[in-house]
Amino acid sequence: MKKRALSIMIALAFVLVSFVGVHAASTVKIGFTYIMSGPFSAYGQFARQGAEMAIEEINAAGGINGQQVEGFFEDSTGKADVALRAIRKHVYQNKVDILIGLDSSGVAKTVVPSIEQMKTPLIITHAATPDVTGSVCNKYTFRISLNLAQNVKAASLLANETGAKKWTTVGPDYSFGHQSWEYFEKYLKQLNPQATFLPKDQVVFSPFKTTDFSSYITKVMNSKPDGVFISLWGGNLIDFVRQASSMGFFKQKYEVLFSLGAATEVLTALGDKMPEGLWVGTRYWFLANNSALNKKFVAAYFKKYGAYPSYNAHGAYSAVYAYKAAAEKAGSTDKMAIVNALEGLTIEIPTGVITFRKGDHQAVTDAHWGKTAADPNYPLRILKPIKIFKGKNVTPAISETGCSLGAAM
Amino acid sequence: MDFLLLNILNGLSWGMLLFLIAVGLTTVFGVLGVLNFAHGSLFMLGAYLCMQVMQYFDSFWLGLLLGPLCAVIIGVLVEKYLLKRVYNRDVSFQLLLTFAILLILDDGVRMIWGSGYHVVDPPELLAGIMTIAGQDYPVYRLFLIVIGPVIGGILWSFFHFTKWGKIIRAASFDNIMAEGVGINVPLIYTLVFALGTWLAALGGALAAPQQSLVPSMGEKIIIESFIVVVIGGMGSFPGAFVGALLLGLLGSFGTMFAGQLQMAIPYLLLAAVLLIKPNGLFKKGV
Amino acid sequence: MIVLKIKYHTLILTGILVTLLFLSPLVIPVYWVILLSEILIMGLMAVSFNLLLGYAGLLSFGQGAFFGLGAYTAALMLQAGYENLFLIFLAGILVAMLAALIVGFFSVRLDEIFFAMITLAFGMMFFSIAHNWRDVTGGSDGLPVFNLPNLQLFGLDLTFYSPISMYYLIFTTVLIALFLLWLVVHSPFGLILKATRENKQRVSFVGGNVRKLRIVAFTISGAFTGLAGVLFCLFNNMATPEFMHWSFSTKPIIMAIIGGTGSFFGPLFGAGIFFVLEQIIIRYTENWMFFLGIILVPVVLFFPQGVFGTLQNRFFKQRSK
Repeated sequence: MKKRALSIMIALAFVLVSFVGVHAASTVKIGFTYIMSGPFSAYGQFARQGAEMAIEEINAAGGINGQQVEGFFEDSTGKADVALRAIRKHVYQNKVDILIGLDSSGVAKTVVPSIEQMKTPLIITHAATPDVTGSVCNKYTFRISLNLAQNVKAASLLANETGAKKWTTVGPDYSFGHQSWEYFEKYLKQLNPQATFLPKDQVVFSPFKTTDFSSYITKVMNSKPDGVFISLWGGNLIDFVRQASSMGFFKQKYEVLFSLGAATEVLTALGDKMPEGLWVGTRYWFLANNSALNKKFVAAYFKKYGAYPSYNAHGAYSAVYAYKAAAEKAGSTDKMAIVNALEGLTIEIPTGVITFRKGDHQAVTDAHWGKTAADPNYPLRILKPIKIFKGKNVTPAISETGCSLGAAM
Repeated sequence: MDFLLLNILNGLSWGMLLFLIAVGLTTVFGVLGVLNFAHGSLFMLGAYLCMQVMQYFDSFWLGLLLGPLCAVIIGVLVEKYLLKRVYNRDVSFQLLLTFAILLILDDGVRMIWGSGYHVVDPPELLAGIMTIAGQDYPVYRLFLIVIGPVIGGILWSFFHFTKWGKIIRAASFDNIMAEGVGINVPLIYTLVFALGTWLAALGGALAAPQQSLVPSMGEKIIIESFIVVVIGGMGSFPGAFVGALLLGLLGSFGTMFAGQLQMAIPYLLLAAVLLIKPNGLFKKGV
Repeated sequence: MIVLKIKYHTLILTGILVTLLFLSPLVIPVYWVILLSEILIMGLMAVSFNLLLGYAGLLSFGQGAFFGLGAYTAALMLQAGYENLFLIFLAGILVAMLAALIVGFFSVRLDEIFFAMITLAFGMMFFSIAHNWRDVTGGSDGLPVFNLPNLQLFGLDLTFYSPISMYYLIFTTVLIALFLLWLVVHSPFGLILKATRENKQRVSFVGGNVRKLRIVAFTISGAFTGLAGVLFCLFNNMATPEFMHWSFSTKPIIMAIIGGTGSFFGPLFGAGIFFVLEQIIIRYTENWMFFLGIILVPVVLFFPQGVFGTLQNRFFKQRSK
């Protein structure tokens, strides 16, 4: 029996050892961590498409500093412990030079402290929580995508223009929804001291798994606000919009702002069921920027995948290029050199010119909002007019973020 | 007052959907003795199949008719080849087997239809809007409120006035006795599971015009229907009805008054019933 | 005689296993050391869970709550600046134990599916608290942990920032915990507990208080699950509400049944099989859940004693020939 046990052990050890990936050392390795499985895997697929397109383009053009780029994709499943395992696999097994990714805000917030221990730079491309470039920021963590504070600041500027006084919200009942409302309240109050906000027990935070929003819709309509700020996204947003339409929600006299309403996957699913004339925001809108770079990106993406790029595709695509720019600036792919090169880096990406601030590593990037409108040339609602809020006008001062990177340096 | 009325309607429309799911779950439990974790996935499957049929024929009614029937085929296969083997096993094996089926169905649907969001339109007949209490209200929701008791009533009559219904009831009370008097119990089991599957899938097809289709759409409803089945009394038909109404109304009124507590309400209710009346509010039986 | 022989062989096997686990960081790559750490933590959770399912015949669907309580206690103490690891372990265990005592007190009067449902209900109540009490628990985000304290032991100052040293902390803790659990299982208490599974009435006829026995078992199980939670928090630098959700509570169930609920070490092997399978499958496909389902079906249908249990039984039969 001892023998048999031993042989089983040896066989097991052999299986384990065979997993040690041996890779040629001559490539630049990028580790992507997104939600690749489960109900939100669509977001991971978009990101993967964007990332793969960027890698192909870069490799076709000679790579980074003459080295070819290799992408590794791991599944975060949207859970913090699994995401951390995926990141550890990137760092210790795939031996990547940089980490890119993270969809969920909660995951980002709890994973970021461990990034510091792994001494590997991370560019966040989707997760919007202000905390990862705020209260829990660190030297290795950057974010290229629009964060919650920037998006909501733009929303509050817009809300101020509408002149509506009494505001309420509908948001998902987790940190993202609560924080969105808190920031909205804070920013709009600064702009318009007369604005009032319904107290916590009268606004709506619907549990993430809600599929029937009718009682929430009734509750909001019953509170008779002048303006409604909505931070629902994804499937929640689709369900809400459809059910709200049929309950006459959009016929009322109040203003409606959707902070993530201009997401292409939502607008595509809703098609002509998305009412026209609603204010919607997003992290990237494929028609917002007329630059040559953006047109090239949208055309190439459409040609390759037959769809318009979503913000997640844009984030992953841009992060690869940001890494390329940093590596070329540093003249190396040494992790610390990359961190230093990313700090303060200014680069043009499809959405516009961005700068990674030294003080908190958040990209100063434009926020895009617009009114939904029908257009026969597009199968989904597009934005018309589009409102562009300049990055410097919507990005909070570093002193407000709670990040102490600047102070330490 | 208007506000109260609207909330009752909101609660009822969700509650009736919940009832369709829970009544299938509770009947299956009552006869087969298995609490089916994959019941919510059959709900989800019904919605997707309805959507698929609609893409071929462009008719919601055909989708409602054929979609659940396709799901029944899968249900029968599941019962005949998988569930059958665990009837005499420990409850942990039964739950784990149905959990495995849940995983296969949820991920399988994602592999077939993708993880993107799908949307189904209500039929033209019911797409309209009525004015209730000075507010727009979708006709489709009212249809849901009506269809629940209608199907419930048909089922009730089936169980009480037809031969097959009586046989099923007999089998649920004592399957050994039923076998003794010459009833083909394995066949009954298959039929009951097919019926449960059909009810779940029908619920899914009915829910499709209301909520976006995603592979995980069964997750919320399965836990809620577990709660309904337990508080109503495992295997109890009226229990499922009362439990579903209770949960539906608690849900809609909870959004008004419960605040932060809302998420915990169904679980508090579940624990309270189990502690005070462990066998649920109603006796087993249909 | 057979019993003695088996004990002897179990001892040798256990010795080999412990030695292999102790030496493995020297040979296997760092990522697999990290996975092994996770296997040990989840294995401890599964073995503690199996004290209920395998020995008392109780299917708990709320183990995640105790795991989460351990993790949150650790995270909160670390955030508050407590440096003493022993104190953190102790607090995590105590909090989980207390919660398990309360939940157990109400739950153990129920059996079978009713027990599963009431533990699910209690577990989800803890989840709701963790998810909604933002000021304390960090809400849905959970609590990130920034600093891991050093451990002063025998005049040494040990840090746990490297995956290898973290592994040894986990390895040692899990080893001690498993030994204690093993003692529990093989004590008179463990034997009577097992008897309640076989026949509840008979135990009460001979004067055993089934309810009390079950409460004690539930509390012990909760305490060790809490310890696993503390380790998981240290290992991942986080505590999140996900740990308390019912879907997390299915993990030890799956592991225990894959490995086999009939033997003490079965669930530990189940945890190992679970993670290794997952790693193999996700190399080829993103549909891990689908294949997990496909694998679970035959395990449930054809391995009633679990994979490890079935292997062990074959060996057992050979020995007793």
